[in-house]
Amino acid sequence: MSQNLLEVHNIKKYFPIKKKLFSKKKEFIKAVDGISFTVKKGETLSIVGESGCGKSTTGRVLMKLLEATEGKIVFEGNDITGLSDDEIRPLRKEFQMVFQDPYASLNPRLTVKEIIEEPLIVHNIDKAKRADRVVELLEVVGLNKYHANRYPHEFSGGQRQRIGIARALAVNPKLIIADEPVSALDVSIQSQILNLLKDLQEKYDLTYIFIAHDLSVVEHISDRVAVMYLGRLVELTTRDELFATPLHPYTKALLSAVPVPDPTVKRNRIILKGDIPSPAAPPSGCTFHTRCPFAQDRCREQIPEFREIEKEHFVACHFAEELGS
Amino acid sequence: MDQPVLKVNNLQTYFTSDAGVVKAVDGVSFEVSKGETLGIVGESGSGKSVTSLSIMRLLKDTPGRIADGEILYEGRDLVKISENDMRKIRGNDIAMIFQEPMTSLNPVFKIGRQLEEAIILHLKFSKKEARERSIEMLTSVGISRPEKIVHEFPHQLSGGMRQRVMIAMAMACNPKVLIADEPTTALDVTIQAQILDLMRNLTKTTDTAILLITHDLGVVAEMCDRVVVMYGGRAVEESDVLSIFANPKHPYTQGLLASIPKIGERLDRLQSIPGNVPIPSRMPEGCKFAPRCPHAMDICWEKEPEYKEVITNHSVRCWLHEEVPQDESELVGSTQH
Repeated sequence: MSQNLLEVHNIKKYFPIKKKLFSKKKEFIKAVDGISFTVKKGETLSIVGESGCGKSTTGRVLMKLLEATEGKIVFEGNDITGLSDDEIRPLRKEFQMVFQDPYASLNPRLTVKEIIEEPLIVHNIDKAKRADRVVELLEVVGLNKYHANRYPHEFSGGQRQRIGIARALAVNPKLIIADEPVSALDVSIQSQILNLLKDLQEKYDLTYIFIAHDLSVVEHISDRVAVMYLGRLVELTTRDELFATPLHPYTKALLSAVPVPDPTVKRNRIILKGDIPSPAAPPSGCTFHTRCPFAQDRCREQIPEFREIEKEHFVACHFAEELGS
Repeated sequence: MDQPVLKVNNLQTYFTSDAGVVKAVDGVSFEVSKGETLGIVGESGSGKSVTSLSIMRLLKDTPGRIADGEILYEGRDLVKISENDMRKIRGNDIAMIFQEPMTSLNPVFKIGRQLEEAIILHLKFSKKEARERSIEMLTSVGISRPEKIVHEFPHQLSGGMRQRVMIAMAMACNPKVLIADEPTTALDVTIQAQILDLMRNLTKTTDTAILLITHDLGVVAEMCDRVVVMYGGRAVEESDVLSIFANPKHPYTQGLLASIPKIGERLDRLQSIPGNVPIPSRMPEGCKFAPRCPHAMDICWEKEPEYKEVITNHSVRCWLHEEVPQDESELVGSTQH
């Protein structure tokens, strides 16, 4: 558990906004604005945040589906940031992705066998082995070998997500980046997929980066949790710490906003004012100050440092110590 | 409770397709009183949205039709009245909020115009009065600069703002019944908390009856007085919110409650309901939940159970509670954690 599988150093991803013809100044959407974290071997690190916070962009940058504007990604001790497409391809075997929408992420014209086989072809596995592997994978994710010749539209959402997981597992990856893998599914199906992910992690010693917005799901699956807001990490700690003693005011509000499925519980909810600001024009200083109930002058001016205030507990807030107690 | 404002009796809505008749809603009954919030819970394909569209009679342009049943609004059967009479009720007495505010607002008209349309039509206000009323409504849903917003287009607003506008629009004519179909599903949790809070406060002051359609049991627990659980086009259980959560009787409700991950509760494995949600065109015979039910007996596969009140104000559609009531305590005990 102690070894770092992945290290992310201050990555940024800016998307340029098209400007008018004669305007000189270039503007950017700062989707990811300098985040750093490490992922240990065998653990599940969750990245949570609301829409537009940059969590999916982070996932895509890590997968090298998008090139980072700045920063360094180190996978098993090797810097993979500057590698070309040809150089990265053999490494792609090591990290795979599971997508949110099982309806959009499977090619409707391919059979399940062809979908799962595709990564094996890319990575030059010979034909005889491929057929066996497909059957094996289908069984691992709880489907049957007679499903192999069917098309995606014949499956329900939960089954499709199983196919997506089988495809990700095909090349024996070490790291799986799962971007909202259960948020499109019904509750009764959601728990089946979460259980499957947990079983697979144990069986194949997988490391997960789990991107989600649903905190109750995150609490269930994670070892550590990172909270993102407007392109930056605001808090990162172990799951137990985060849910027991959240330090950042945003984490607190996020936790208290989740509706509790128990009508006997009456809580004092922190209701944040206003909307999430646009990442094209993020607020000065601490980006959360426009909605923060504790904001002071310093927050408007100075960007808080992402610092370790207790062991393994990182927070980006000027007043984390006072607010935590 | 007072007389129910809206009462649905054995509603059946069928869709005709190439594959034959699909019974999207097949036997749903419930009632909702003034000031009460009734939750309708179910997974995809359970028929909860078709139920709401049937009440609003919005199925005209679809292959769907109400095959049988009554929808009584203040004693009048909405299934039987003319389209003209329905138009007077729709948006005026019964209003609706949809899941996706971007697709339910017209993108080419300014917010103000869209709000005023219903006010002028139903309340017979002049244009000027209607503008004042819209601004007043926008203020009441917590929009900070309503005079500006009325001149903006839907795409200029954020998701949360749009949903506020939808609520303002729905509440503008003081409806007696508000149907909210997954009103917060497309929103982030911090925004969801704002909108739920707003709906609670608005209805407290206006005494509107709410029909809240959702798949989120957390939202149900916080908002509703009573709950109807739907599965495969049928109402399978109905009770007050406390009993549903503390003492669910239908195995589906029990499974659903057990399978949600809860904050503060850590299990190694989540409980789950095996199998998949049934496809409406391939509904099983007998009880629709039988293929996924841990307690399925022979009779469940053959004959559909009736929807019966097993204790006061607690109805359930399940053979377990019809034939062998003594099993009940054992069953409930075994699935609670």
